[in-house]
Amino acid sequence: MIPLSLHYVVVAVAVAIGLIAEPVGALADQECSVPERFYTFEPPLEKTPKALAGGRRVVIVALGGASSAGRAAGGLERAWPARLGSVLSERFPSARTKVVNLAVARQTAREATERLEREVLALKPTLVIWETGTMEAVRGIDVDEFRGTVQAGIDKIRAAGAEVVLMNMQFSRATDAVIHFEPYLIALRELADTNDVPLFRRYGIMRHWAESGSLDLRAEDQDKRRQVAARLYDCIGQALADFVTRGDAAVKPTPGSETER
Amino acid sequence: MTAAASRTLSMERDLRLDFFRGLALFCIFIDHLPNNVLAEFTLQSLMFSDAAEVFILISGYAAGMVYGRVLERQGFVVAGVRIYQRVWQLYVAHVFLFMIYMAMVAYTVDALNNALYAEEFGAANFLDQPGLALVNALLLQFQPAFMDILPLYIGLLAVLPLVLAGFRFSALTMLIISFTLWLMVQLDSRIALPTYPGPDGVWYFNPLAWQALFLFGAWLGWRNIHGGVSWLSYRWLFWLAAGLSLAGFLIRFNWTLHGFYDPIPVPISSKLLWPFLSKTDLGLLRFVNVLAAALLISWLIRPRARFLSSPAAWPFLICGRNSLYIFCLGILLSIVGHLVLNEFFGGIAMQFAVSVAGIAIMIAVAALLEWLGAAQDASGGSALGAPTASRGARG
Repeated sequence: MIPLSLHYVVVAVAVAIGLIAEPVGALADQECSVPERFYTFEPPLEKTPKALAGGRRVVIVALGGASSAGRAAGGLERAWPARLGSVLSERFPSARTKVVNLAVARQTAREATERLEREVLALKPTLVIWETGTMEAVRGIDVDEFRGTVQAGIDKIRAAGAEVVLMNMQFSRATDAVIHFEPYLIALRELADTNDVPLFRRYGIMRHWAESGSLDLRAEDQDKRRQVAARLYDCIGQALADFVTRGDAAVKPTPGSETER
Repeated sequence: MTAAASRTLSMERDLRLDFFRGLALFCIFIDHLPNNVLAEFTLQSLMFSDAAEVFILISGYAAGMVYGRVLERQGFVVAGVRIYQRVWQLYVAHVFLFMIYMAMVAYTVDALNNALYAEEFGAANFLDQPGLALVNALLLQFQPAFMDILPLYIGLLAVLPLVLAGFRFSALTMLIISFTLWLMVQLDSRIALPTYPGPDGVWYFNPLAWQALFLFGAWLGWRNIHGGVSWLSYRWLFWLAAGLSLAGFLIRFNWTLHGFYDPIPVPISSKLLWPFLSKTDLGLLRFVNVLAAALLISWLIRPRARFLSSPAAWPFLICGRNSLYIFCLGILLSIVGHLVLNEFFGGIAMQFAVSVAGIAIMIAVAALLEWLGAAQDASGGSALGAPTASRGARG
């Protein structure tokens, strides 16, 4: 009993004198876990988990914007694609996994599709993870045009024999107040649904993390912001590793799962 | 307008217009709250069209009827001035909303400037050149979140005097021009109005497409003061409208159910219908579905059906009757509700509470406007100044 209460005292004193930073950077792993409802009805991938488990060569290409390029956390090596790569390498040591990050800040879906042929498909990817929609929402680009562009991109990637995962926008209170994401979130939901492509619902997942208090998206000083960004990308990388490898995980239906995007 | 005349006017009033416009206003508010489960139960989950189409169609109808009558009795100038009085009120509301938007951006710009939101920060970038943003907002070229509906309504009302004059000259010519323009937009979606700051940004509601719905509504309303449209009562048309509405309901509601519970099969994929479902360009199915539903309703519910004068219908009626104010209020409440839901989250209970609170405020303000209007009528209309003049003509 005595050591335990002493422990409390030590912690309390440490917190009081600022030795222990707020728990943002030091979250327990389960705190960036993703509830089942964000995965339940997303169709699982087939080739990618098999190739990973079979110890084959797996090339994953990440397409997206600034939030995939990772500068907020300090650079490419801290972005979610790099985190995804290291988690997959740990879990599937026999597979030769390579995650190529082709994200470019402020890139629209149209610009991304223009790079598909030469830069993406030339790498013979097993899987393309396509993060998109932010620039379109910020600029107010025609939603139908956006949907058409992404549809054409999906068709092209699939025709080349690669699998696709779509990823939607980031969430924060500040961005949500001033940017009209809704139509673009719906468009991505429809694209995923009708093409039987899994959608990684980053927007809803980040909203969940913000709601449960596991990510302080309102951090104010620069260092802390960098920590939050690194933590966020790490969480997303881990969640994505679960997301792309869940092969035949039992499907437990929960109704009402899609109102959160 | 004298109290007696006002009473006669309200006796003639088609309560269905008020009721369904009130319903549309509630739906627009609920649809605008983020992550709102209740939005799965509004018009948009039952038909291809949503509350926006219903609102624009009824607004067109009411405007065509009310201002058409003014045009006949008092001439083009009076009708034009009355319409522009409305346009001015909407414009002022738009500028007011823009102020709120600016305040939100100014308040959140620090959070947005977080490197985490490098791209999203683009939305706040206009603060670098606030003068330019201001001018573009005044010119309706700057339409950030929630500021996309009023510019459409302003644009449609602004051309109404010419449209009504055109109806007098040749209604058929006007309708042909209007539908041709709509059709051109369907065939080439690049026919659109650009927005600031661009590049490639377009009006979320393309006025070149949406004018067709408003104008068609205005024509029906205008025809109504000249004895109505005879072919609307053809029985085959009723069955056609019923069939189309039912088909729209079955397909759309199936998607809604699928959204709730993924394993429910979808016989008709939405992908097949995408080319006809554009909201920006008022796609064919949205256009047809709202017209079919309107015709069906006008057959099934009489203008003074008993339920329309029941207490349950009263909140809808008063909101629909004061639609201009309640419409603007609804947008403002959406913004507030958005902030509340993103600040406190709180799940379904909170979404429900915010939805109910917002609607209660809309009803309370509408009731206040009704009471004010009645007080003005009773005092002969002069005591409280100019707004009385337009009371009978709430388009």
